[in-house]
Amino acid sequence: MAKILVIDDEADLLEMMRLVLQQRGGHQVVLSAEGHDGLAKAMSSPPDLAIIDVMMPGITGYEICRQLRANPDTASISIMILTARAQPMDRDAAIAAGADDYMTKPVIMAELLERVNALLERRTEQPPGLSGTFALMSLRGGVGVTTLAVNLAAALTQTRAETVCLVDLCPSSGHVALHLGLRPEPNWSAIIGTGDASALDAESIATYLLQHSSGLRVLASPFVPLAGQGVSQKAVMAVFNILQQQFSTIVVDAPSTLDGATMAVLEAASALGMVLTAEPPSLQTAIGTLRALSQWSPKLHAIVNQVTPGPQLPAEAIARALKHPVAATIAFDPSQARALAQGTPLALGSSDSPLAQAARSLVQAFGR
Amino acid sequence: MREKLSSAWLVGDFFTYRHRLSGRVDVRYNKLAAQLNDPTSSFLELEDAYVSNVEHPADIVASYTSAIFRKDNITAVVIANQEDGLLREQTYGSYFGTYLRELFITVPSFEITGYIRLSGKMDLRTVLTTGTDAFIPVLDGEMRSSIRPEVFFTGGAILVNKNQIGVFCLEAEKE
Repeated sequence: MAKILVIDDEADLLEMMRLVLQQRGGHQVVLSAEGHDGLAKAMSSPPDLAIIDVMMPGITGYEICRQLRANPDTASISIMILTARAQPMDRDAAIAAGADDYMTKPVIMAELLERVNALLERRTEQPPGLSGTFALMSLRGGVGVTTLAVNLAAALTQTRAETVCLVDLCPSSGHVALHLGLRPEPNWSAIIGTGDASALDAESIATYLLQHSSGLRVLASPFVPLAGQGVSQKAVMAVFNILQQQFSTIVVDAPSTLDGATMAVLEAASALGMVLTAEPPSLQTAIGTLRALSQWSPKLHAIVNQVTPGPQLPAEAIARALKHPVAATIAFDPSQARALAQGTPLALGSSDSPLAQAARSLVQAFGR
Repeated sequence: MREKLSSAWLVGDFFTYRHRLSGRVDVRYNKLAAQLNDPTSSFLELEDAYVSNVEHPADIVASYTSAIFRKDNITAVVIANQEDGLLREQTYGSYFGTYLRELFITVPSFEITGYIRLSGKMDLRTVLTTGTDAFIPVLDGEMRSSIRPEVFFTGGAILVNKNQIGVFCLEAEKE
């Protein structure tokens, strides 16, 4: 039996919800006919699942959703948006606000009960949150490192949004912010780029973190590529030391170089995800990377990305070539192009998509 | 257990030149199409109106407990279920002897595609000028922003204001 909070200003619908969810579904149901009241009820006694109408006087369901996600006590509850606004962009808006599912009115009660039970099941199946620093990297560009880093971080926010920070360390205009629909201002150029780490503390670093609507915090890289001497190893490590005290989980989109700063981050990481594709140049680069990073072999996970149907090297052959096990194989997901254009990672916007599922399996792979 | 929660209210998306208003209309006594086509009233009342700009149609910028439209300024109304957008006499059994024709319509800010149900020989001028109905139903319609084509709305029925139509095109009849 789960505790379900329903917030909707339609009295008839509330009563029907109580009948269906309580009597047929066997759940404990709390009703609220007013948005602010519903939000207060959720904050004071967090439910397992909240079903929220969008169009309510005083506060919209989207805003309630955002406030629930921003509060550590309610950030991990499952949220279903229920609305008569039935257009595709309304679904995207609901997901961007932090909803796990979206359903349109009029409601078919059998379908509602099915979707509610599926959400509750998914909640119990969710992998536990990871603790530590996880760096994704590849010395060959274009293999989807940023996409995986963003979706891994997004998947982790589903359980503990308030404790996850995503760091874009790429000095040549990294794209993490773009994937999240954020403007990369502020970014780390003022602290890492200059190498002036002496005055850094938790408070000053917090001012450089972007806040995504999912609750994820982001340290973005500058839009304009950093020219010159590169990033300062000393400053990078100062930033990481502070971030590790503030966040239990840090996901790093590491640059395609093994300079001093990158090596320091890789050393500090609990696990490394080396991303490659099933094509000879990428495989060759991965073999070389494994040799260069042989000292960290036990914590290094090979991830074969963008696997398409057809004649390609199987994972077993790749593992033989690498002389290293393949921790995860991720299928090419054509919906990623749309997700990038919309600035909503698939792990947040389309939780059933192959890439979102792969991101959740990465959480488990790193957890091992 | 397939019951639908229905009520005396119909929720729809109402579009003017620049805005999307989502809200509900009282349809206890008159279907929406009948209210829109009622020549004795120039206005339409909406309850719980949520306002968005058509440029950012998912962002709710304001909400009001009631709103009144001047019907001649409504460009179109998007309704999820086809039957909710039709007149009573256009629904049950009335499709005998009729056929569907694919169409393309332009109205201010939008391009609309879908189907129109016709009977007998088709004459575009007849569709646009004959009869007192101000709104024509486009079935299985899609309404796409002319300026931002990635913004579109779909519905079982789109009720289009005839007076706002710029271009009305029909596909050739299919055998």
